[in-house]
Amino acid sequence: MRVLLVEDEQRLAENIVAALRETGLAVDHAADGETGSHLAEQDIYDAIVLDLMLPGKNGQRVLQDLRRRKLHTPVLILTAQENKESVVSLLNAGADDYLSKPFDLGELLARIKALIRRAKGVSTPVLVVSDLELNTVQQTVSRRGRSLDLSPTEYRILEYLMHRPRAVVSQRELLEHLYDFDWEHHSNVIEAHISNLRRKLNVNGSEPLIETLRHRGYRLREGGAQ
Amino acid sequence: MTKSVSITRRLVVTVLFLELLSAVALIGAITVHEWRVQLKVFDASLVATAESLMGAVQDTEDEADTVMLDMRGVRVSKDAAFRVEDERGKVLGSALDPPRLETEASGTPVFRNIEVGSQGYRFLVLKGLRIVDPGQPNGGVQHSITIVYGTPSRHLWHEVFEAIRFFAIATAFLMGITAFVMAWLVRKGLSPVHELAREAERISSSDWQFHAPISAKETVELQPLAAALEAALARLQRSFEQQRRFTSDAAHELKTDVAIVKSSLQLLSMRKRTLEEYGQGLALSLEDFTRLESTVQKMLTLARLEQPPESCNSSRAPQYCSLRDTIEDAVHQSKPFAELRSIEVRMEFTGDVKVPIDSRDALLLCSNILLNALQHSPEGSTVIIAVHADEGIVQLTVRDQGEGISEEDRASVFEPFYRGDPSRSRKSGGTGLGLSICKAISERVGGSIEIANHPAGGAIVTVRLPAEVMASASTLSSSLKAE
Repeated sequence: MRVLLVEDEQRLAENIVAALRETGLAVDHAADGETGSHLAEQDIYDAIVLDLMLPGKNGQRVLQDLRRRKLHTPVLILTAQENKESVVSLLNAGADDYLSKPFDLGELLARIKALIRRAKGVSTPVLVVSDLELNTVQQTVSRRGRSLDLSPTEYRILEYLMHRPRAVVSQRELLEHLYDFDWEHHSNVIEAHISNLRRKLNVNGSEPLIETLRHRGYRLREGGAQ
Repeated sequence: MTKSVSITRRLVVTVLFLELLSAVALIGAITVHEWRVQLKVFDASLVATAESLMGAVQDTEDEADTVMLDMRGVRVSKDAAFRVEDERGKVLGSALDPPRLETEASGTPVFRNIEVGSQGYRFLVLKGLRIVDPGQPNGGVQHSITIVYGTPSRHLWHEVFEAIRFFAIATAFLMGITAFVMAWLVRKGLSPVHELAREAERISSSDWQFHAPISAKETVELQPLAAALEAALARLQRSFEQQRRFTSDAAHELKTDVAIVKSSLQLLSMRKRTLEEYGQGLALSLEDFTRLESTVQKMLTLARLEQPPESCNSSRAPQYCSLRDTIEDAVHQSKPFAELRSIEVRMEFTGDVKVPIDSRDALLLCSNILLNALQHSPEGSTVIIAVHADEGIVQLTVRDQGEGISEEDRASVFEPFYRGDPSRSRKSGGTGLGLSICKAISERVGGSIEIANHPAGGAIVTVRLPAEVMASASTLSSSLKAE
């Protein structure tokens, strides 16, 4: 999952980026409203964390422009203002959640994850596809009750696929949503990770869960065990 | 207890009093006039009756050629007193026996006011000639007739009193009407005052909008009050809003700084880390905390400076410090920053002065202005600090060679938390309190601070402070090249 952070306060942004990356999210950071708006409109993010007081273009306008372009990326607002009116007007302008400064870093992470889940149509932190179970909080995966040991990238690929079961996910989409701009983009990296993942998911002769559709991408099969 | 005064009552009473005075004067004048007119009428009627009595003296047609009074055809009022005599004192006719009145023998009628019985009478003494048989060769017999005729003068007084009574009643009636009309008019005239008060009553701490009602603005006497109220409230609202903005900005600034410290520590405790990572994290957290501390420090400084000076140290004598030493300190302090960007700081002094600021605040003032200039200077440029003392006032100017200042920024650059360039993030801008602190320090001692564009480019900050010239006033110029 890939998150965009728009925050002009350098140190705060550094901390949030570090925390988000530690929980397995890809993060891009924009330090002003215009860059933030430009990045957000690429529609490659699973969630956006938006500060209100931004140089160049304020958070409210970034949000309005995003919604005007019919982009439904979940947006969490960070604000140091606490009056109810501004909160109401923000939610009405299309924000999904807000957190006032100074906030709890753990709460911020939990809220972002909840926003991502909800946007994908999932309401609990445990994702289940046939006999495969993935816990997004503990970042653990198990199949038929046996826990699997995945690398962080493998985990992220599986998490993304499990959020969209039965849908064809292209390599490009995986790249866009799993890596931020700090990473080098190589599609063969994805291929290697997928093949490792397939191998690890294979628990005593079970059905393969991840299908490869040539030139189209990957698909997580549901009910493959039957 | 304070005495309350009613304008309405005062006005009504004043008007009624004036009206009463003029009524009294009028009645006085009318009395005199009426008395005269009535007297004239009275006398005329006395004369007319006396003349007709004279006409009633007839020839008795006897040899002695005497005269008699024929009262037929003469109408005399019942209470009239009269006596008709001939030259020998023979009474031809009389009524109520009037007193004998001494008169000189002249033709003009003489009037006398005499008491008869218990009544005041006005008498007329009329002398006339009566000629019996004027057609005879000897010219007839002449009889000189004296008529004394009087009627009670109370009629006269009665008429005058009637007139006075009429005017008195009319005046009382008019005064009654005046009192009502005046009270109504004054109340109506004062209604703009009530409207103004009602409008003013609506003002509360949340709603400062005040527009004087049109009725008050149209009333000449209320215009100054309405205008003063509007102006005072506008000023209050401005300062109130400034305070509110300051509080909100300060809260925003503090919350952001606290959020940084908190997130730094929480990031560090998210999972177990190596000793090295802990070390780095703590160092960063400490740095973040230092920034929070400095923000708080600056806010407290500003709050201290904005307090009236009397409340702080009324007992202590004002502290003085050398402006030159202070500037040198400030330049020394900012040397690393200037060197980093190879900016030359040049000082131009004409002597040294003492300024009535304690050395700590003076250093704060100088170094804040200098840092501001350095921040806006391009690399490799020059910042010029000049001091010019003149008759109790010292002028300190700091000039940079940066991009100058826009008109918009000029107005608000000394406001707390104002950051000139909205695209500048907090990282480069500091808290935006530096110049506000400078302004507070300058104004506290009755000085001033302003910023303008130098004709030759760049911004120039000018501080004017009260000063005392120090002993040596020789022109000095020193230069500090930061390389």
